[in-house]
Amino acid sequence: MNLATINIAAILPTLVLSVVGIVVMVAEPFVGEQKKSNLGWLAFAGTLAAMLSLVPMANNRGQWYSNLWIVDDYDVFLDFIFLLIAAITILTSMDFLRREELNHPEFYSLLLFATAGMLMMAASNELVMVFLGLEILSIATYVMAGFRRADLKSNESALKYFLLGSFSSAFFLYGIALIFGATGSTNLLAIADALRSSKIQISLVSLSAALILIALCFKVAVAPFHVWTPDVYEGAPTPVTGFMSVGPKAAGFAVLFRVFLTAFPSIEDRWGSAIWMVAALTMILGNVIAVVQPNIKRMLAYSSIAHAGYVAVAFAATSDRGVSAALFYLLAYSLMNLGAFAMVTIISRKEDKLVNVTDYAGLGSKRPGLAAVLSLFMLSLAGVPGTAGFAGKFFIFRAALESRLVWLAIIGVVTTVISFYYYLSVIVQMYMREPHDEFSDVRLCGSLKFALVISAAGTLYLGLLPTRVLDWTTTAALR
Amino acid sequence: MLETWVPVLIFFILVAGFGTVSLVLSYAFGPKKPDARKLSPYECGMRPIGSARERFSVKFYLVAMLFLLFDIEAVFLFPWAVVYRDLKLFGFFEMLLFIVVILAGYIYAWKKGALEWER
Amino acid sequence: MFSRPKHMEFVGSNILTIVTFTPAAGALLILFYNRAHARSIRTFALIITLLAFVFSLYLVARFDSSNPDFQFGVRVPWMPSLGIDYSMGVDGISLFLILLTTLLTPLAILASSSINDRLREYFIFMLLLESGMIGVFASLDFFLFYVFWEVMLIPMYFLIGVWGGERRIYAAMKFVLYTMIGSVLMLVAIIALYFIHGNATGTFTFSYPQIQSALASGRLVLSPAIELWLFVAFFLAFAIKVPLFPFHTWLPDAHVEAPTAGSVLLAGVLLKMGTYGLVRFSLPLFPHISHLFAPLISMLAVVGIIYGALVAMVQPDMKKLVAYSSVSHLGFIVLGIFSFTIQGLEGAIYQMLNHGISTGALFLLVGVIYDRRHTRLIEEFGGLANRMPVYATFFLIVTLSSIGLPGLNGFVGEFLVLLGTFGVNHIRAAVAALGVILSAVYMLWMYQRVMWGRVENDRNASLADLAGRERAMLVPILIMIFWMGMYSSYFLRPMDASVMKLLNQTQAGRVEYARDLNTFLSAQRRARSASPIGRSLKTRSASPIGRSLKTRSASPIGRSLKSGCAGSQQAGGADEVVRSALHVFAELTTPALQPFLRLRPIGLALRPAVAPPLLCEEGNVLASK
Repeated sequence: MNLATINIAAILPTLVLSVVGIVVMVAEPFVGEQKKSNLGWLAFAGTLAAMLSLVPMANNRGQWYSNLWIVDDYDVFLDFIFLLIAAITILTSMDFLRREELNHPEFYSLLLFATAGMLMMAASNELVMVFLGLEILSIATYVMAGFRRADLKSNESALKYFLLGSFSSAFFLYGIALIFGATGSTNLLAIADALRSSKIQISLVSLSAALILIALCFKVAVAPFHVWTPDVYEGAPTPVTGFMSVGPKAAGFAVLFRVFLTAFPSIEDRWGSAIWMVAALTMILGNVIAVVQPNIKRMLAYSSIAHAGYVAVAFAATSDRGVSAALFYLLAYSLMNLGAFAMVTIISRKEDKLVNVTDYAGLGSKRPGLAAVLSLFMLSLAGVPGTAGFAGKFFIFRAALESRLVWLAIIGVVTTVISFYYYLSVIVQMYMREPHDEFSDVRLCGSLKFALVISAAGTLYLGLLPTRVLDWTTTAALR
Repeated sequence: MLETWVPVLIFFILVAGFGTVSLVLSYAFGPKKPDARKLSPYECGMRPIGSARERFSVKFYLVAMLFLLFDIEAVFLFPWAVVYRDLKLFGFFEMLLFIVVILAGYIYAWKKGALEWER
Repeated sequence: MFSRPKHMEFVGSNILTIVTFTPAAGALLILFYNRAHARSIRTFALIITLLAFVFSLYLVARFDSSNPDFQFGVRVPWMPSLGIDYSMGVDGISLFLILLTTLLTPLAILASSSINDRLREYFIFMLLLESGMIGVFASLDFFLFYVFWEVMLIPMYFLIGVWGGERRIYAAMKFVLYTMIGSVLMLVAIIALYFIHGNATGTFTFSYPQIQSALASGRLVLSPAIELWLFVAFFLAFAIKVPLFPFHTWLPDAHVEAPTAGSVLLAGVLLKMGTYGLVRFSLPLFPHISHLFAPLISMLAVVGIIYGALVAMVQPDMKKLVAYSSVSHLGFIVLGIFSFTIQGLEGAIYQMLNHGISTGALFLLVGVIYDRRHTRLIEEFGGLANRMPVYATFFLIVTLSSIGLPGLNGFVGEFLVLLGTFGVNHIRAAVAALGVILSAVYMLWMYQRVMWGRVENDRNASLADLAGRERAMLVPILIMIFWMGMYSSYFLRPMDASVMKLLNQTQAGRVEYARDLNTFLSAQRRARSASPIGRSLKTRSASPIGRSLKTRSASPIGRSLKSGCAGSQQAGGADEVVRSALHVFAELTTPALQPFLRLRPIGLALRPAVAPPLLCEEGNVLASK
């Protein structure tokens, strides 16, 4: 190892995020109480800078740092999603932190570190490296989940997330150890090569694949490893919930696709059916249980489980088209779900108290603009044509049918109909019930507006003109 | 084969011998004025017998964590020192970077008052 | 002659886009209105819809009746990498449905005077709804069609849910969920069709004309099982929308709860989307299975006719009565479609227009009285003819049109449908004709109870007769009722070419299919003796889920998806269904009666003198197996 093998450009976005994160953290004690929000804008600028630095990174395709680090279109696209998530989350949380008197800029540092972890996960070509990214992401997220220190629910959320997260980390680590024992490497390509030779202890490899699969299923919250999700999502501060429902999920899927389609394609017959079942179960459970949730955060938690199921359908297709559909869906889902959570953040008001679906009654007549935007996100999550959610689902079902997963596609569309019920019930509350609240204390500051505009515009753009992004995901999926 | 381990064996014997000798000597020649407090295992610490579910001041955890962090720094520093000659300047800057990151954390902890016991 | 000016050419090639999106653009503009200016919003919405109506008149004026293909076509790549185009066109089947939409929407807007709450949103949804409905009739790309089909649900959902009656939320939710469940399965079928077509021909496209012509020309052949599943998926979507008899339960709820304008558009246009889908997609895409299931579907239609009429008879609520009468009338339409005769089909399309106009008018009239009295219960009224003579006259004409009095529009459609059906099956036609009588019973009975006698209820004593606005919205309908009743050939002529083409394709499929089916069945018999299905089932049944997972491609659909156009190889469960269904229905299908096919009903004089050959050589191939 010497200076010549270092390629700064290949890791530039991660580097930018880490440096900005550290700067925000160190600057925090030196900044007066009034100016703390400025650090939020600094963090936001950091994500934008990282987004810009995707350009030099994309020009440095290939494997770097002893094949630990890989830069390809897949990676670049996912990084884009992650940075977008981080940027929108920062915008959403600025006002939230001020409102809740939690204005500690460490929050932004943690968010940036978590994002850096996600970038590492997407770019790593090596299981240990994946683990490193996973832990950086997870630890930061545990802290963010418990950020409302004085609140019991928030503590519960953080603790549950921590316990189950460490469990899944242990599974993951055990899987890495086993695959290292079986193939003598933790490099994905080396594993794939080793698996193609016949002298492999296939039971060991299967066990390892199973462990890794379980660990990642925990992270992306698919059934039957989803049980922690509602409690954790309900208790965490709302912007954090928004972040958790898209960020770690997207990163987990990024790793799932990378690991299983790069390292384990030769034993697909062993894990393909597991994915099929996971996808079917997740879609059914997520959508059915979401129907009876009175709390909108819990409802969105189950909905996020259901959406993970749709991505799992794309995974079960195990084709390039499936990967492309999944990437598209992750972007679409991130935008609309972050938008929805931004709205929940606004409406829940002081101390995140008003989070029941019935608290939205009459929003349509009192604050028509907000209601319209939330309706857009709900319709998109449900998958009404013309929105990102429909385009994403359409591509996923297309990929599924191409891979002859007819039943999975049918389960998918039928559960989509179920999902209409609970998404529309929010609209029912907003437009068709009498208001028992004036919504006069609902404040909408600049950063939140900005976040809403980005997510709403993205949702509509992806729904109406998905071609450009779809072409991008198609190139990203080809390896 | 086994002869290579002879130095280790000698080392073990020396360690055990030194420990035993100093204990025995102090037992034999030291003055003995025992009282209840002196006989307790941790003279100025917590009581070792009783309920384990006691409340500790959160400051202990803070100190423990800070200790852990800077301990890890040392863990990284030692192997670096061993291969310093091979890594040359690259290793130096790499380590410098590492130290700077740790330093940032240190400054943060310091300014946040994590190092002050009473506040 | 002068060359046409530039802007005319622009209009000529984009007229469909203009018609479709004029209301949507209007909806966008209404967003900028101050919500306080209620009056100007109303006027603006009315102007926009009238504008759309005028544009659609251009379609009628420039329509070439001799051309059976799609006209005014536009095709712009939308998502080229997926084979999705923005592609629109109009033929004789959809032409008047578009006109019906653009005619009824301004009337519905006129009928919205009682809406005062959240007026701006109301008109935005009305206009979006109109765009969606026109889009459904005009789009020629499966994807585009599906988008319009679904998007249109949302404004209707809001119209029912926000401005509806007591149980509006229940009704709105029921409406959306019911329609969704059918249409999402259609989406799966559309994607499957896309792949089957793509694998067979090499071009992956969602274009309806392309896929349809590939099917018609034999470049793409669907195996019976595949065709069955695709047909079922499409049919379910349409049958729920129609709604055909067992799927009709959402309709009364939605109708009763919707505001007047919503009911008008729901009955007038939305239901037609289902029957339009049957004509446009089910028949030409899946002719074999359509034929196979025609007896069953026709029977359901007949049941619907009688059931709807009987239930309508006992309704105390006028709106509910009209809603159930819709179930009955739509049975006629489905019956006509699945008669596979030119009379039946044209009658069905004609009846779609009739029903749109008559039932739309009935809802408008009920709305008028509801605005005055805030009740729709028949028992609350009586003797209205004394107080509101003009209203009573209008009501009478519409009632008679709905019953099918000769000389008014309803007669032509019902007569044609019955004629077409009689040629295929006497009994069905006879029972359906009973429905006509029943409709006279319930409509006239209601009329009698509401209009005649003395005014017993004091609150009816001071009712005002129709105001200018109300007359304005009813007069166009009366004109249409008389026009369509007296001069039906004006409307039937443009349909002729397209319907004939459709029928030829469908019939060609039928003969071919019977031949195929014989080889298929014999092949299946052989296959069964060689490798019994039972065996393969037994070996796999050890782990049910695992089986379906591992042998994904072995299940009938999966397999045939792979082979794209499997002819008649191994038998799966679905093929079994086809086979047994065939046996049952072949018995039930009585031979067509030639003399009636040659009859020329009124208003059809301009049709080519000879009936299409395939209709005549109808040898009932299926039954003679």
